[in-house]
Amino acid sequence: MVSGIWTEKYRPNKFSEVFGQDNSVKRVEALTNSLNIPHMMFAGPAGTGKSTLALIVVKELYKDNWKENYLELNASDERGINVIREKVKNFARTKSIGNIPFKIIFLDEADALTPEAQQALRRTMENYSSTCRFIMSCNYSSKIIDPIQSRCAIFRFKLLEKKDVEKVIIRICENEKLTIKPEAIEVLYEGCEGDCRRCINILQSTASIALSITPELVATIISNTKPRDIRVVLDYAISGDFLKAKEKLLDIMLKDSISGQDVIKAIQKEIWNLPVEPTIKVKLTEKTGEAEFRIVEGSDPFIQLQALLASFVLAGLGKE
Amino acid sequence: MSPWTEKYRPKNLEEIKGQDEAVFKIREFLKNFGKKKNALILHGPPGTGKTSIAHAAAKENNFEIFELNASDLRNREKLKNILRPATEQMPLEKSDKIILVDEVDGISEYDYGGLGELLSVIESTSFPVIITANDIWDKKFSALRKKCEMLQLKEINVNVLKNVILEISAKENISVNDDLINELSAKAKGDMRAAINDLQALSKLKDYFSVILDERNKETDIFSSLKKVFQEKPENEMLGIFDSVNMSIDDIILWIEENIPADYKGEELARAYDLLSKTDVFRGRIHKQQYWRFLVYENIFLSYGIASSKKNTKTGFTSYKKPSRILQIWLNNQKTVHKKSICHKYAEYVHVSHKRAMTEFPVIKLVIKSNPEIQKELKLEEEEIEYLKI
Repeated sequence: MVSGIWTEKYRPNKFSEVFGQDNSVKRVEALTNSLNIPHMMFAGPAGTGKSTLALIVVKELYKDNWKENYLELNASDERGINVIREKVKNFARTKSIGNIPFKIIFLDEADALTPEAQQALRRTMENYSSTCRFIMSCNYSSKIIDPIQSRCAIFRFKLLEKKDVEKVIIRICENEKLTIKPEAIEVLYEGCEGDCRRCINILQSTASIALSITPELVATIISNTKPRDIRVVLDYAISGDFLKAKEKLLDIMLKDSISGQDVIKAIQKEIWNLPVEPTIKVKLTEKTGEAEFRIVEGSDPFIQLQALLASFVLAGLGKE
Repeated sequence: MSPWTEKYRPKNLEEIKGQDEAVFKIREFLKNFGKKKNALILHGPPGTGKTSIAHAAAKENNFEIFELNASDLRNREKLKNILRPATEQMPLEKSDKIILVDEVDGISEYDYGGLGELLSVIESTSFPVIITANDIWDKKFSALRKKCEMLQLKEINVNVLKNVILEISAKENISVNDDLINELSAKAKGDMRAAINDLQALSKLKDYFSVILDERNKETDIFSSLKKVFQEKPENEMLGIFDSVNMSIDDIILWIEENIPADYKGEELARAYDLLSKTDVFRGRIHKQQYWRFLVYENIFLSYGIASSKKNTKTGFTSYKKPSRILQIWLNNQKTVHKKSICHKYAEYVHVSHKRAMTEFPVIKLVIKSNPEIQKELKLEEEEIEYLKI
């Protein structure tokens, strides 16, 4: 069955269909053709093809039996390393189906695991290395402990270049009988910051409204999907109304389920649009940086964000 | 379901527990009506049986009861038109009655007109007047006190409370152990109504009841500790202030987070939040490194640190609020159940994490919303499809 979700419908099924990442794709393809792959780590930003490549490896190796020989786990969703170990254990217990002597476990967002959990994972990898190969994906390989890195062949994924994203967009538009202006492609690419999945999703959202994709339409859809109203929070804070700012912030975070780090990112960008003196902008940025650091170190991002808002209130009063 | 405080309100004076002296005196008052003063003030703490005694006395004598409360006393005209006629003997009227003026201390300074009218009604009434009040010693009641007999009700003895709790539990068919009875009766502090209300809550909540009782206890502790920290000068004794609060340090952090803006503004606010933020950083380090000595710093920042953030000491009453954030998160979760389940299905299907699906929900929603094929593909339930339309 062909999926109606374009990110699935147009997900490449063969190495030759993958755009960009030329070097990594070629090396992975060569390994796959040898029918024996090492543990692998795919490192790179979201929407650059890590899961896609893992799926292609599996489909190439096992052909029709791929589902039986493949386990997909997401480190940021599984509740703790013990759950992961348990699932790996159950999966690895039975022999692989077909003539490849091992199964494949894809561990997505492995950098969501704490260093301790990674140590435990390393033991698991060793215990089942005769029957299983791991493919791990992460945004930053630096967050993966050295012993795991040293057990893996590492492949780096870059943000997709504009020409690659363009190829994807044009292919989809031809297939879906959409007309698209070059400027609209530009807006799409800029709005997605090289994340191909996001790009396709926005294209499909836009297409659900009109068959002719204009830059204005794309821009509207993109702005509708950005974290809203962070500016309102900052305006309240700068004008001295701490309670309103706090209330609005919690409201946004809950409604749109955005993380503290995403809020910080949005605040950091929004500072430059505030009607305040240049020195204050720098001061606010400094505070924001400190808050981001403390979010990483601390345990409750909302407390850190409140502290940040309280310091913005002061800056608004012209103090500090 | 009617409140048990009503259901088990005594029906005659025999059923009044633990107020024997008062029962005796009210019988005397009614028997001798017309010979001494026309009105009787029943005063005492809440839940000691003032209203119950008045009603029971009326029933015992087969009197009707004519009842007024504080809100009726607001208005002189109303008193004239309602109370006065009620106190006049009508020919052909069948039975006697008692005039009950409930909660007279609810009357405010602005209702003097009403109070004056009440006094003149007492002069001329043909029926006994019973007045109840928690506190009758205010200056504005001095004239009233002179015109009335006074009967003070004491807090109800703890053993009496225990017996009543036992009796009602038996009638309601709920089992309570000794610990619970002791706890309930001690907590009521002589207030029968509180004891019965708590018991009724127990019957509904069963296992959770002990938790709720606990909660009440905790709150008084946290309130006084917060007041000290937010309003008083930092002293070394303050360092251990939260030790006596029967709460986890994480809960205390939430209480402080909620209430900093209640007492602090501007620079004080920023300083206090900065310390709270540092507390949280140490908490994070404890979790990551399992180095529990950092707890010391959490404690110091929360107590002495927050206290030192103010420029001057503060006075006055601040009503500190319960932490609301957790509740809000919970409410929000209730609201976003469908969003979560949609993201769950979507995430599995397209090989992304649930978290990412949640953050990208605005885009995903647009994709799914307008396309019934995809809704079928993801096996969305009807409620989930409805949710997308909102």
